[in-house]
Amino acid sequence: MMGKKRVIGGVVALVIVLSGFGYLMYGGIGENLVYFVTPAELLERGDDAYERPVRLGGQVVPGTVRWNADELDLRFTLQDEDVHVEVISRKAPPAMFREGQGVIVEGSLNRDGVFESSNLMVKHSNEYRAPDDHEVMPAEKYRDLIRQTN
Amino acid sequence: MTRIIGSSAVIAALAIASYGMIAAVVGVKRREAALVRSARAAAYTCFGLMTVANLAMIYGLVTHDFSIDYVAQVGSRATPVFFTVISLWSALEGSILFWGWVLALYAALAMWITKSSLGSLGAYANAVLLFVSAFFYILLVGPANPFGLVSPVPLDGPGPNPLLQNHILMAVHPPLLYLGYVGMTVPFAFGLGALLSGRLDDTWLRVTRTWTVAAWSFLTLAIVAGMWWSYEVLGWGGYWAWDPVENASFLPWLTATAFMHSAMVQERRGLLRVWNMSLIIATFLLTILGTFLTRSGVISSVHAFGEGPIGTYFLAFMAVTLVFSMVMLLGRSTELRSEGHLDSMASRETVFLGNNLLFTAFTFTVLLGTLFPILAEAARGVKVSVGAPFFNMMTIPLCVALIFLVGVGPMLPWRVANMEELRRKLRIPGGAAVLTLAVALTLGMRDFWGLLAFTAGAFALLGNVQEFVLGTMARRRAGGGSIPRALWGLMNSNPRRYGGYTAHIGLVLMAIGITASSAFRMEREATVRLGEMVELGGYTVRFEELWAEDQPHRFVVGSRFAVLINGRERGEMNPRLNYYRARGSEPITTPSVRTRAHNDLYLTLLAFESDGSSATVTVIVEPLVVWIWIGSLIIAMGAFFSIWPRRRRPSPVRRTRNELQEAGVA
Amino acid sequence: MNWKRSAVGVGISVPILALLAFGMTKNPNVIPSPLPGRPAPEFALPVMDEPDTVRLADLRGNVVVLNFWASWCLECRHEHSDLSMAARLFEPQGVRFYGVLYNDTPTNGRTWIREMGGQYYPSLVDEGSRTAVSYGLYGVPETFIIDQNGTVVHKQIGPITLSRLSALIQPLLDEPPAPAVPVGGDEAAGTGVTDDAMEAVAGDAAEVTS
Repeated sequence: MMGKKRVIGGVVALVIVLSGFGYLMYGGIGENLVYFVTPAELLERGDDAYERPVRLGGQVVPGTVRWNADELDLRFTLQDEDVHVEVISRKAPPAMFREGQGVIVEGSLNRDGVFESSNLMVKHSNEYRAPDDHEVMPAEKYRDLIRQTN
Repeated sequence: MTRIIGSSAVIAALAIASYGMIAAVVGVKRREAALVRSARAAAYTCFGLMTVANLAMIYGLVTHDFSIDYVAQVGSRATPVFFTVISLWSALEGSILFWGWVLALYAALAMWITKSSLGSLGAYANAVLLFVSAFFYILLVGPANPFGLVSPVPLDGPGPNPLLQNHILMAVHPPLLYLGYVGMTVPFAFGLGALLSGRLDDTWLRVTRTWTVAAWSFLTLAIVAGMWWSYEVLGWGGYWAWDPVENASFLPWLTATAFMHSAMVQERRGLLRVWNMSLIIATFLLTILGTFLTRSGVISSVHAFGEGPIGTYFLAFMAVTLVFSMVMLLGRSTELRSEGHLDSMASRETVFLGNNLLFTAFTFTVLLGTLFPILAEAARGVKVSVGAPFFNMMTIPLCVALIFLVGVGPMLPWRVANMEELRRKLRIPGGAAVLTLAVALTLGMRDFWGLLAFTAGAFALLGNVQEFVLGTMARRRAGGGSIPRALWGLMNSNPRRYGGYTAHIGLVLMAIGITASSAFRMEREATVRLGEMVELGGYTVRFEELWAEDQPHRFVVGSRFAVLINGRERGEMNPRLNYYRARGSEPITTPSVRTRAHNDLYLTLLAFESDGSSATVTVIVEPLVVWIWIGSLIIAMGAFFSIWPRRRRPSPVRRTRNELQEAGVA
Repeated sequence: MNWKRSAVGVGISVPILALLAFGMTKNPNVIPSPLPGRPAPEFALPVMDEPDTVRLADLRGNVVVLNFWASWCLECRHEHSDLSMAARLFEPQGVRFYGVLYNDTPTNGRTWIREMGGQYYPSLVDEGSRTAVSYGLYGVPETFIIDQNGTVVHKQIGPITLSRLSALIQPLLDEPPAPAVPVGGDEAAGTGVTDDAMEAVAGDAAEVTS
């Protein structure tokens, strides 16, 4: 049988280990929180808005998307209500990215007021979209390609 | 017609499960064997009815009966038959239906194997199994009714989620996950059965050992299949992102792994009895919590699942099971006290205790990180997400410590270690660890945790391999014949032990693969014109061609890249974009992966010019990825080896049956 | 059994469940919409298959129900009959229901309406999804309830039911909000209330008090 002293020692050791672990966890989680904000909320933060990692959610304003494939440079404007934030991403747009869609960009606002995105996530609802009037079905869009290969 | 058959089968199953549950409890209370027997028959009947319901749904899917709600949701005339059949589990209602079938199968099997041998314990376990089943049948009758009527009947449906019809692994991952998740219900039911019946000895543990190990193996395979799927489909070259959906499957795995180890301590030494009961209850509740989190839209996830009133049902069910099990567990805790005691710090028991401590910490970390967004919103009203860095920072040290224990465990015997022997066994693994560290340092690796992970990995790998080598050598000296023969004989002499060591080796291989592929990953994104090349990590890929193809259910834009190593052509790769017609115009990336033992070359087509002149691709080189998948297969092989039915030893069930007859219960 | 300890078990369980129950009430996928309580974004959209154009500004004084839908959306099928029923019930009391076709072709929309046995209220065509963007749409169906002053009262994500609609609309009819006081200048033009609307609101109020 283990002596009482050893039991107490064990309990003390356990408490120390657990509190150390708890402290680590507390600190770690505080440092790694990413806040969800809308463009309006982001700009409301004033000086605190800059250079802090956040997830910014809004709609891609139709007509603002510029994608330079050679430079891997993607720019567009995010909007919620009447607040606009310009976003720049150094990565190719994800396949499901399109104008007028809700997206979430992870990154931070630069001092020049441009939001630099490190990760672009397309918000998809459970429903999938049918093509709208302006978009031809891909088969037609890439008809040339098909003709070349067939 | 199909609809009517399916929904009647579900309703009948609900009625019969409810009856069986009550019959089992009343039967035990009034000591009426006939009632208890009828409760067992209820379990068999539910299995038959759920089989009918599932077959009806598959039939409805295959015949494109769009008057059935679920078929209208996930079916499409253009989808190939194979994907139509597996779309049984591609959306919420269907997966609950399938879950119901798996649970009914397990319950029927458990009752068929144990029959009346366990007396009141078995009857109560049956009641718990039927209670859980009844909950799923309620879902199927109410909020997740897959057999609802759609009127007017649509002519065609949208087809399953394209992400799911894009890869064959989606045929494998969900069934494995359900086999694993649902399998945990069986040990939970017998554990509660023990608490309810007051038969608090180790019977429930021994009876359910096979179930636990089997369910755990399925869960392991399911998690890795999920990782593999996201690696092969999602196109970012990763396999784990600490997404709530992933965490949901990982949490019960953590507690189940802890349980498998601490159960051995109880069987061997009579220790940790309250703890084991807590672990199995936690495991079951975590499977329900995981389903609740992912299916109710409580936590934000990149994996979009349907949301609906089903969350409330899961919450209510969780409330009932949590409160009930806590009441039973704590109420019986004084009677559950340990029989044995710890002899020495240098023993296998201690290692298992350490293992449990680490796994508990691990579970809490992942649970906290997953639930923190709700906590933060409740406490401060802010929307936050917990980033992957938190999980990595917290869990990497835990993983390293666990890997180290995987190495130490087999060296230590039960009770008290012989220090001389320990020192002898430490020599080779310790040497390998030091050597690995030195090699990694000279190769320029400076990442602290990476170095530790490799060192611990080498130590643990050799520590477990050594057991096989030493054992085989001893057997040969005793006249065991050739090396393979001696090895096979050794493994069969103690399947639990050597199956366990095999699983350890698989785990270490996985850990090494994960460490290497995340520490030495290289990635480049580039836009290339026809004939242009991208170089990365010893590979050169040259853009050869862009093509398009019209298929019945989808439209494919594909590319051809030549792979060059040292200027010589070594094959080609075809990353693609698939456009699923019925789901609109969102393309699904289909990366191309060239797998080799030392590294993977991973190519994703991101964008292209519609005249075929240029394409934007991501090139990723990741070392040792394939060992993650191989490791998981070795784990499963080891686990199944350890529980494979053998004639030599009396089965635990038979043993308990004898005990029962002695006690005069049955 | 030791019932004292059992009680401790209940004590441990309750906070965990309370937390999860709280989580149920929140939808993490939605960044809280700033719209409820604010003026609804203006729009002028053509009515499908009709030469008319509907302007939100012209509808002051009426409760407006705006339902974004599409033919490719299964949930829209589920809520369709409830919406039509609500329109039939509330239209005589001055509530205006409009569907807004989102990301879909009018041809598909027409076929769908025929398939569903008609739609009780007109649907508007949102070219280029600009209105959807200004309403911060995440997907369909989504339903917005706009009060007599043109303020968004509620945003429903996902299918809506008849009882939910009644619960939201009836209070607005029973107790119309006080008309927004025109401050003058541009703002008045933006959120202001036309004289007609003022009268309508006043009339409703009189009915209630009498």
